[in-house]
Amino acid sequence: MTQQQSLVGSFLAHATGHPGDPALVWRGEETTYRGLLRLAERERVRIARLALNADEPIGIPAAKSPATIALVLACLLEGRRFLLLPAPTPEGGASHALVERAGIRHVLSPERPEEPGPGSVPGPAAEDGPAEPRAPYRTQPADVSFLFTTSGSTGQPKIVPLTTGAVDRFTTWAGERFGIRRGTTVLNHAPLTFDLCLLDIWTTLKHGGRVVLVDPARATQAGHLLDLVSRHAVQLVQAVPMFYRLLVDAAAADGRRLDTVEHVVFTGDSLPARCLAELPRLFPRARLYNVYGCTETNDSFLHEVDGTEPADGPVPIGRPLPGVHAVIVGADGGIVTGPGTGELHVATPFQTDGYLDRAQDAGRFATHHHDGRARRYFRSGDLVRRDRDGRITLEGRNDHQVKVRGVRVNTHEVEQVLLDHPEVVEAAVVAVPDPVAGRLLRSVARRAPGSRLNSLTLRRHCAQRLPLTAVPSTLLIVDGPLPRTSTGKIDRAHVERACSPTQPTEGTATCDTPR
Amino acid sequence: MRHAAVVTQFIIEEFLPDVAASELEPDYDLVDGGVIDSLGLLKTIAWLEDRFDLRVEEIDLDPDSFRTVASISRFIEQAQPLRTDSL
Repeated sequence: MTQQQSLVGSFLAHATGHPGDPALVWRGEETTYRGLLRLAERERVRIARLALNADEPIGIPAAKSPATIALVLACLLEGRRFLLLPAPTPEGGASHALVERAGIRHVLSPERPEEPGPGSVPGPAAEDGPAEPRAPYRTQPADVSFLFTTSGSTGQPKIVPLTTGAVDRFTTWAGERFGIRRGTTVLNHAPLTFDLCLLDIWTTLKHGGRVVLVDPARATQAGHLLDLVSRHAVQLVQAVPMFYRLLVDAAAADGRRLDTVEHVVFTGDSLPARCLAELPRLFPRARLYNVYGCTETNDSFLHEVDGTEPADGPVPIGRPLPGVHAVIVGADGGIVTGPGTGELHVATPFQTDGYLDRAQDAGRFATHHHDGRARRYFRSGDLVRRDRDGRITLEGRNDHQVKVRGVRVNTHEVEQVLLDHPEVVEAAVVAVPDPVAGRLLRSVARRAPGSRLNSLTLRRHCAQRLPLTAVPSTLLIVDGPLPRTSTGKIDRAHVERACSPTQPTEGTATCDTPR
Repeated sequence: MRHAAVVTQFIIEEFLPDVAASELEPDYDLVDGGVIDSLGLLKTIAWLEDRFDLRVEEIDLDPDSFRTVASISRFIEQAQPLRTDSL
């Protein structure tokens, strides 16, 4: 590996050396490295004026725009830790609770959020003047910069601090692995609150590439996404499986291909085999990668698709990245060597030192002596299986294992079966307490636009692939999107409430009325 | 088969609320189709007891009697051969 260059140092070097290079594309307009640095320098002044305590984070509402990205760069330049705050949920208050728990006193929005670029900057800074930046604050590798939040799909979101050292190591790895350099164009689909942005935005800006930002308001419009990738000749795409499902379905209709794309990364959830099979047609020139990671550890495993994937099962997560250590801990608490199943524990060069609230570390990290050294591992909570050839495949979450009438059922597996139906776009399965059965499976499936799928058909589909106890007792079919958390995972707690026995089976406030 | 309509209505309301009654054929296999599992069977029997005034010990719990709307209808007829006022 080459020398660890700092994210902010490399960005500055590029902005000084190649100020006219495009850094961002947002709603059809380009922002140059010079323009982005100017915006950031102005924001530095505001940050410096705040009387912040040593480790006090700044809150940044994560509305996607070049101005917000400049504000993040300003925090990096000033050596200030910051938390990107998700847009408030319909229920409200989520951001407020985060602000309080992070100890944030100052929430900063960009100074002029609507200002497109440097052209309209008033004042002495001439458009073609030298982009001579002030030196960045000298951070130590152990200083915290980014604060991310976990999805909270199974509980309250936790705040995850990442050190500049961890971010620098990650952005160096990702830049090399995917060949991101000056002139490389990368699509950013995820919201700014997602750790995925460390790759598609921050690695790209570190290496002098250009980021095409997807407007969150249009993030599920397949036609728009296809146009964006074609028009800007995107070379690297990273997104969650839902993105690819949308694109594959839309492109199947008109036979469209995205042949500028060289690398396709899917992450965050299991990609259904049916969708994987369609990807080579949509991206005929691209290498395809399944990347596995957690917010706490960042990217940890990578599998490059090579045609050996099982036709009916999930895509393997592959093998640990360079410098990543992983152990599988069996049900008896012992480390599984060789083939077997257990919980995946991961130690990466990119991982957090622990949650902001250290009390939350209990039970989430474990020290193992393995490969001749003791390391601190993150307990992923993911159940995995290792094959004879060493390849690892995700089996589901630890907390996805439930007992229904005495039989062990993996709700993740049931979800995958629902998603395997060609007319199902999204699906969630939850286990709810039931006075008779102990626990019952309830599920919500969103059918594709125009589909007339009903529960009679979907039940038969499930019964042909699952033991009868694993066929959900309630199968609600909806046309609207399923509720998601601020980080884009399906909000199971929400689904569970919506599907609770006190609610009517047909239609609730959150799940659209079934046909 | 004179109970088919009311049995269909029960199955639809209980297990397939988004399906139209006309879409459920009388000989559709409800077990293979994932509509009725063992818990669904208990629910169905409880409904039969209540709706047709059958007593549980009179009932032969052969799951095959409950595989289709038609077989459930036949079961009702056999369980109460002397009644004609059940509908």
